[in-house]
Amino acid sequence: MQVKDNNRNRRDFALLAVLCLFLQVAIAPNIALGNGRANMALVFVGITSLLVGGQISVLCGFIAGLVFDLSTTGPIGLMAFLLTLGSFVVGIEARNRLADDFRGSLTIFAILALAVSLAYHVSMFLVGEATSLIDVVFLRTIPTLVLTILAFAPFAYVISHATGSALSLKGKPSKSARSHGSRYDLDI
Amino acid sequence: MALAKGGTTPPSTRFRRTDADGALRTCIVLLVVSLVMFTASVREGDSGGVFSTTRGIWMTITTPIRWVGGALTAPFEGLGNVIDNLTADQEHLSDLKAENERLVARNAELEEAEQTARRLESLLGLQSLYNLQSTAARIISGSTDSWSSTVTIDKGTSAGLAVGMPVTDSNGAIGQIVKCGPASSTVRLITDENSAVSAMIQSSRAQGVLRGSVDGTLHLTLVRTDQMVEVGDTVVTSGLGGVFPKGLPVGKVLSVERTSGSLYYEIEVEPLSSTEGFEEVLVITSLTEDQKATAADVAEADQQDTTAGTAAQTSEEGEADDESADEDTEAASDELVADGDYQDTQDIGDEG
Repeated sequence: MQVKDNNRNRRDFALLAVLCLFLQVAIAPNIALGNGRANMALVFVGITSLLVGGQISVLCGFIAGLVFDLSTTGPIGLMAFLLTLGSFVVGIEARNRLADDFRGSLTIFAILALAVSLAYHVSMFLVGEATSLIDVVFLRTIPTLVLTILAFAPFAYVISHATGSALSLKGKPSKSARSHGSRYDLDI
Repeated sequence: MALAKGGTTPPSTRFRRTDADGALRTCIVLLVVSLVMFTASVREGDSGGVFSTTRGIWMTITTPIRWVGGALTAPFEGLGNVIDNLTADQEHLSDLKAENERLVARNAELEEAEQTARRLESLLGLQSLYNLQSTAARIISGSTDSWSSTVTIDKGTSAGLAVGMPVTDSNGAIGQIVKCGPASSTVRLITDENSAVSAMIQSSRAQGVLRGSVDGTLHLTLVRTDQMVEVGDTVVTSGLGGVFPKGLPVGKVLSVERTSGSLYYEIEVEPLSSTEGFEEVLVITSLTEDQKATAADVAEADQQDTTAGTAAQTSEEGEADDESADEDTEAASDELVADGDYQDTQDIGDEG
């Protein structure tokens, strides 16, 4: 029998948010691949969209993007825009996928990360922050993409294989459960 | 009606449709809010509006977290060097050994010279060559995004720092403050793609502009081809613009290329400083008169480009590109003299 424990879900998501915030502010700046740095806001949004989806993931996307924007020297609102849009698309199409399809989730996240990273860097290029589109793509977008996917993979693995976590709710969701919207509804 | 009668639409479909509608509405609202913020943020720039204040507050709140991150990752900073050392070949190690012996001898010589200098200083009451009025700070974090080459230091406006102040480490200039919160500041490094600093070749006094690049190398531009530039020459700040003190070392010439028909060299410069070690830095809070470029320096920089323009016109007389060479020279002259030191012209322009 599956039991929906909203308080526990909220607690787990708050923990995940704090962990991603810590990694974004404290660790990610110090681990670089070329010019690329892991985008933990994107990781957080990927997890919430692939687990919860719907309205909650859209809100998470906006807030995570805003936090990312505040942590950088770039304009505020750009990453918030992209993560809001990305979380909506992924949340509608791929909710609940993370719990039972690790590889599929990784693929969807990779596509999301590529789209968001490319759009972010190209937007910065368009507002005049760089002179070469090739540099933007190969020296900034790709390293960022690689590091972000590497950062997402352990989270996705742990969540998809966790048995005692409220996020997994002791077991894989059935087809019928998936068709009943999200089991991880936080009732906001 | 169908729903009320409990007939045609399954509950799961109703739930999904309601949730999707809610998500869509929220998404549209937040996208509009994001766009408004983005537009306002770009328009605001660094003029110190609500977004700059919010970012300053955020930087202050997260400074302790950055401290923790810096402390946690510090032991791994030398990992790259360790790998390089392990994979070095015998010839490279022999070269390093020879270089080390030479440096040991040179060090002894310099220590002797330092003792002499100290005695002379105490006798004459002279201050050191770089009498910098500065505040010490420590690098606590690297760049948060992949877009800019910046570091965060642990001092801010409460320590008297402000946007535009130059920052140095023990080897020379490393960058300039572009964001300043109460307890921390963001320093744009000279290797950043948007960075440009007025600099010159120390030996020949050839003036130019030192620009960062996306691959982390520095390029000294606008140095005319009739000037003397050699590999290994030291590049120092020229002091034009009054931001960086004059004569502060920034790098060594790595390669010099002269393209046929070009007025200027293509010079690659190796930076002297590295911020990877999370070292102490000095933020220069003000310049003394002798650290600023004099009117004669400005005139000399102007003269260099005027001469370059004349030389180009003479040597290529009758050729079609005279006009473009003249335009290049005028633009270069403006860049060298009028702007002076600048990193991210928007930032410094606002400050100035």
